[in-house]
Amino acid sequence: MNKIQITIIVILLAALLAFPQFITSESVLNLAVYVLLYVSIASSWNVLGGFAGQTNLGHAAFFGVGALVTRMLWFAGWNIFASMVIGALVAVVLALIIGVPAFRLRGVYFAIGTLALSQILLITVGNTFSTISSIPTEDLKVYSLVPRYYMFLGVALLTIVTAYVLLNSRFGLGITAVREEEDAAESLGVSALKYKMLAFGISAFFGGLTGGAFAFYHVGYYPQLTFGPEWTFDSMMMAYIGGVGTIVGPVIGAVFFVVLREFLALRFAEFHLIIFGVLFILVVLFLPDGFMGIWEKIRKRLLRRSK
Amino acid sequence: MLEAFAQNLVYGVLIGALYGLAAVGLSLVFGVTKFLNVAHGEFLMVGGYASFWLFTLWQVDPFVSLPAAIVSLLVLGAVFYQALFSRMVKLTEGVKIQNTLLIGFGVSLILQNLALKLWTADTRSITTAYSGQVFNFLGIRFPLVRVASLLIALVLVIALQLFLRRTYTGKALRATVENWEAATLMGIDIHRVYLLSFVMGAALAGVAGALVGVGYSIEPGMGMSWTLKSLVVMVLGGLGSITGTFVGGIILGLTESATGFIALMAGGGLTYKEVVGLVLFLLVLVFRPEGLFGSKEG
Amino acid sequence: MLKLDTINAFYADLQALWGISFEVNAGELVALVGPNGAGKTTTLRIISGLLKPQSGTVTFDGKTLNTEPAHKIVELGLCQVLEGGKVFTGMSVLENLELGAFVPQARQVKNQTLKHVYEIFPRLAERKNQRAGTLSGGERQMLAIGRALMSKPKLLMLDEPSFGLAPILVDQMFQMINEINKQGTTVLLVEQNVRASIDIAHRAYVIENGRIVGHGSGEQLLSFESVRSAYLGDSHA
Ligand SMILES: Nc1ncnc2c1ncn2[C@@H]1O[C@H](COP(=O)(O)OP(=O)(O)OP(=O)(O)O)[C@@H](O)[C@H]1O
Ligand SMILES: [Mg+2]
Repeated sequence: MNKIQITIIVILLAALLAFPQFITSESVLNLAVYVLLYVSIASSWNVLGGFAGQTNLGHAAFFGVGALVTRMLWFAGWNIFASMVIGALVAVVLALIIGVPAFRLRGVYFAIGTLALSQILLITVGNTFSTISSIPTEDLKVYSLVPRYYMFLGVALLTIVTAYVLLNSRFGLGITAVREEEDAAESLGVSALKYKMLAFGISAFFGGLTGGAFAFYHVGYYPQLTFGPEWTFDSMMMAYIGGVGTIVGPVIGAVFFVVLREFLALRFAEFHLIIFGVLFILVVLFLPDGFMGIWEKIRKRLLRRSK
Repeated sequence: MLEAFAQNLVYGVLIGALYGLAAVGLSLVFGVTKFLNVAHGEFLMVGGYASFWLFTLWQVDPFVSLPAAIVSLLVLGAVFYQALFSRMVKLTEGVKIQNTLLIGFGVSLILQNLALKLWTADTRSITTAYSGQVFNFLGIRFPLVRVASLLIALVLVIALQLFLRRTYTGKALRATVENWEAATLMGIDIHRVYLLSFVMGAALAGVAGALVGVGYSIEPGMGMSWTLKSLVVMVLGGLGSITGTFVGGIILGLTESATGFIALMAGGGLTYKEVVGLVLFLLVLVFRPEGLFGSKEG
Repeated sequence: MLKLDTINAFYADLQALWGISFEVNAGELVALVGPNGAGKTTTLRIISGLLKPQSGTVTFDGKTLNTEPAHKIVELGLCQVLEGGKVFTGMSVLENLELGAFVPQARQVKNQTLKHVYEIFPRLAERKNQRAGTLSGGERQMLAIGRALMSKPKLLMLDEPSFGLAPILVDQMFQMINEINKQGTTVLLVEQNVRASIDIAHRAYVIENGRIVGHGSGEQLLSFESVRSAYLGDSHA
């Protein structure tokens, strides 16, 4: 990172930290919470789906498990942070359990297998926990959005920083090798399975942690909600629109996604998902590197001109 | 008790035939093109609505309008193929599967929400004068329309099998599945083969959708579950085998209904039957990835 | 009949052919020899249209093939047999041969051609209802050639037909190729078995590192370093 980048990050960080001190509008704060939620979930999906190139169609399972466990422990009187960490760890355990068989299945099978897993959990949770889960009234009296905002900010930063550190480490190289050419990587002595499991574990951990933050944030919902396939699909769309496999991509994708969705929801009501569908297809077809791809092109051109 | 169980199994076979039909369509497309069209369930949904509206607006009998459902899906399939999927033909297999999965996902989002917007979220079903007719055999009830649907599914699967075995075009399709380069060197235009199998797959989904509309019910959000079921059956049946896939569909139907029955007896929720197919699927993926009927050799 | 003019071809960023030019006249049996990775298969892929050149032209009977899709090129009477045979293993021998006659003009005379192919390869007639996947390596190679003959090609391109065959079979294979040529089909033969191919070929080209480095007939060619090394079999090193 160069000086300019560090300066930008510091300013951005300061702005994000100071944000709730200046903004008192609940709807704006809620919007900010959603942006941060999506930044976290998209970035966590990206660790496996982008860095390791394993399309996980069942990320909702980890988000949901994180939310479910956190909510249970928290309501049982546990500290919220401890509850969230346990929730995320349960998500990791789930990932590790299904990781070994799932990674034996390449490509399409992995995608379908994870989708099946999340649907199994969706249906089972829907059957088992069929009543709405609400924050108890005594807790609701002291409910405030600001700590929720900071909670999500913390989770988002932790996710991004971890992804950054991971990508710039030896593991990052290994994971990239696995994505590029699994067979070649294997023959070079890289244990593909080890790297994929690591990426899956980290991806599940932060997916679960984001779910935990959601459990802390949301006042009342059916537990099934957090297992819905749209959590996976939205994450995937944000990652692709922003730039899959990059650090900044999912962040930009998430901001763009939430803002555009708000904008479209106001004007075009139910059409917004159709527009997202079209946009997503266009990105896959014509901008395989998303917004980050465009940015790279512009940057290269500028560099060339300045030479 | 035993009778009730047998009755359940019959229902299982009847719905299983439709799972099989839908999955055969998906498997045909995947086998030939290596396109994983996850919008397959939405194609099925569109077929269901085509049949529903023909019946509701103009009182066209759903069995008579099957050709119309087929034609609309042939057209829809051709449009999506030409506009989107045809760009994926030249990619290597892994990238192809990945990209078509993403594209298919976008298509399903569009179709599902378009249906929601155009036709509302209401559950619909086609109720004809003969819808309630049932005939009894050994004390077991056989609903007329579902039995007719099973026969139609069977006829279509056999016809497809004959087409693939006996005709020149069918053989060209099978050759392309095995080795598209060698097929090209026989003078086979693989773009046409791809297009053909894609629209045939869409048409099979359309028929399945129309039959679901008359025997059961349809709604805009049904696509996901049907895509998943088709995928499950495709893997159960072993990729590439038409008969295996159809039998796989019936097995899924049977498993679901048996589980549903047991869950009901045990006082559990009926929706568990949806889970059992997926669990079965994961088990097959892990322990017999070549499918229940597939063989390991190529 | 066939003419390649300064063909440059790439696999992504990697240049595999550098200004390849050569020709094959009607009725000839021309060999294209060279070590592993020289670009022999690539040259055939360029001719049959599986790979498009970045520059240069391929003409066949005066027609430019550059813009023709591969399946159209087959209709013009050019047929390539892939390296290793590549028969359709899930289909019967007969079905494989039928597919060979896929192009319209060949389909009309399918039965006659079939009889002819069975004469050249009696073994195929014996096993016509057998699944091609159960054939031996040599039989597969015969089937692949027979299948190509079914398209009634004017020019038949063979990619290492003797590869992996037992020594007795190798001789037989070259005799059959010679026979096919004598009966009027022009043949472009890619081989690593230099001695045998030069024996039956009218002319040969030597390709090395994507370039044509020699051209001539018979013994003339054996003076080339690469030919010698290939001939002596140390090209695998
Ligand atoms: N699909 C491909 N992608 C990238 N490079 C390729 C591909 N196919 C061939 N090459 C490269 O192009 C060069 C020429 O290969 P080609 O297959 O034409 O050689 P060949 O003369 O047929 O060799 P062999 O005798 O081993 O069959 C080689 O360096 C090879 O590595
Ligand atoms: Mg070669």
